[in-house]
Amino acid sequence: MTSRANLAWLLASLLVTIAVVFFWQWIANTGYVSRVFLPGPDRAFAALMRDYNSGKLFTEMGETVLRMVVGWLVASIVGIALGAAIGISPLARTWIAPTLELIRPLPASAIAPVAIVFLGMTDNMILLLVAFGSVWPMLLTTIHGFSNVHPRLDEVARVMRLNTFERVYKIALPAAMPDILGGLRLGLTIALILAVVGEMITVQGGLGSRILLAARAFRAPDIFAGVIMLGLIGLVTNVALTALERRLLRWQPAPAH
Amino acid sequence: MTATLHRLDRKLANTPPASAKTKGKPLISLKGVGLTFGSNEVLRDIDVEIGEGEFVCVIGPSGCGKTTLLRILSGLIQASRGTVSYRGKEQREPASDIAIVFQDYANALLPWRTASQNVSLALEAAGMPRAERRDRIAELLSKVGLSKHADKFPSEMSGGMQQRLQIARCLAQNPSVILMDEPFGALDAMTRQKLQDEILSIVSESNVTAFFVTHDLEEAIYLGDRVIALEPNPGRIAELIDVPLARPRNQLTTREEPEFLALRRKLFDFVLRYE
Ligand SMILES: Nc1ncnc2c1ncn2[C@@H]1O[C@H](COP(=O)(O)OP(=O)(O)OP(=O)(O)O)[C@@H](O)[C@H]1O
Ligand SMILES: [Mg+2]
Repeated sequence: MTSRANLAWLLASLLVTIAVVFFWQWIANTGYVSRVFLPGPDRAFAALMRDYNSGKLFTEMGETVLRMVVGWLVASIVGIALGAAIGISPLARTWIAPTLELIRPLPASAIAPVAIVFLGMTDNMILLLVAFGSVWPMLLTTIHGFSNVHPRLDEVARVMRLNTFERVYKIALPAAMPDILGGLRLGLTIALILAVVGEMITVQGGLGSRILLAARAFRAPDIFAGVIMLGLIGLVTNVALTALERRLLRWQPAPAH
Repeated sequence: MTATLHRLDRKLANTPPASAKTKGKPLISLKGVGLTFGSNEVLRDIDVEIGEGEFVCVIGPSGCGKTTLLRILSGLIQASRGTVSYRGKEQREPASDIAIVFQDYANALLPWRTASQNVSLALEAAGMPRAERRDRIAELLSKVGLSKHADKFPSEMSGGMQQRLQIARCLAQNPSVILMDEPFGALDAMTRQKLQDEILSIVSESNVTAFFVTHDLEEAIYLGDRVIALEPNPGRIAELIDVPLARPRNQLTTREEPEFLALRRKLFDFVLRYE
């Protein structure tokens, strides 16, 4: 894609955002929805500015981002390592895969009570929740990627007499990378959701607690300010992952436009 | 060392290697080799000896077991019957000095590595220090005419370029034997002839032994010292044909020689029997 086309896309998406904000303001102004439930962007923005000036905004955001990222990193390391081990050995696949299929459909929120029993209403409980929920896409995509390395590449590795470590590191891992990156992206989305859910359950600070407390006190602008921040976190992490993906997958032929 | 002497010998004597039997002790030998996949007997009673520096081509109708034979030779798969030995030892796993040029080059290259990094893989596998790799890679790429494309990914290269890259990577293994499975099958006629000549000069330069599977009868005659004709169901050796054409060969004159035409006729008749 040319940079000019890129710019056009960026402008278009910016326009859509602006249009949505205006629409939101218009709805709020007409008063169809009670001001108690739906503040306009003006009041949400005012709440944002207030918390920004007091420094509360970034403290809360920082807490949520930290939980999301740490939980996600733990999940990535566990998911990729375990996925590689399972994916590379057909024996492990037949032994372990059925158990995984049993645990996987459990909604992550269902393990929250279990995690609370063991860890209490703590930070660690949130991390466990985040890691448990986001490990699955990483694990499954890594298994998929590793078990789908083209057999010819396995033969190339054999002919060159690569050892197991070299086979994983030089052949299987890069071959599985497109799959793994997809898993990382999915996992990150889930990690953000679960970090917020965990914060709502434990009320240990962060944007989740903020939204929960604001809802209990009917402070709608604060809720919306929190939601906007969550949206921004999602946007920024996605952009960062896209940049990483571009860099790691620059060998892939450009998709035809 | 012995290889160098051998090469020198040949250069001094300046005699084209005539018949296979005069070409030193057998490097690879197959005795009574057979292979059965389930209930499907693919190969039966294959007996061949391949001498050092010899160029052996294999032809035969589709499905007669050419690829399977090559894979048995390489040690990638094991024969169900008979013995395969390489340098007098039984062939159980691919040996480090046997290189394979796969037919499907697009799958055999590492798409996430550039041309030079793909060549580098073989050097890394051989444990060559990083500092020495660079020069060797440049030398190999220039040998196959890819110097200008060193930093391209396979997806940015044409089919012919990718196949040349695979050949360069095989040469990086410093092989004594190159096994090639219809390496030029997907290429256009011009590229094909160019690569045929490149292979011939590489092989004669380094006294490499070559085992070359092809569908193309003329290609088999043009390249080979000997041609193995396989007949199907199960795959057996129908004929072992010596190619008494002088080397170096020439795309125009060699192909016009009466022996060439006679051999072509003979192989053509053979293949027609199985159409
Ligand atoms: N892994 C396998 N399992 C079962 N049968 C196989 C396997 N590989 C090959 N065969 C069978 O062995 C026979 C020979 O196959 P092979 O690929 O060696 O033929 P080929 O001479 O190389 O054919 P082509 O010219 O089309 O490449 C075929 O009948 C094929 O069905
Ligand atoms: Mg074949």
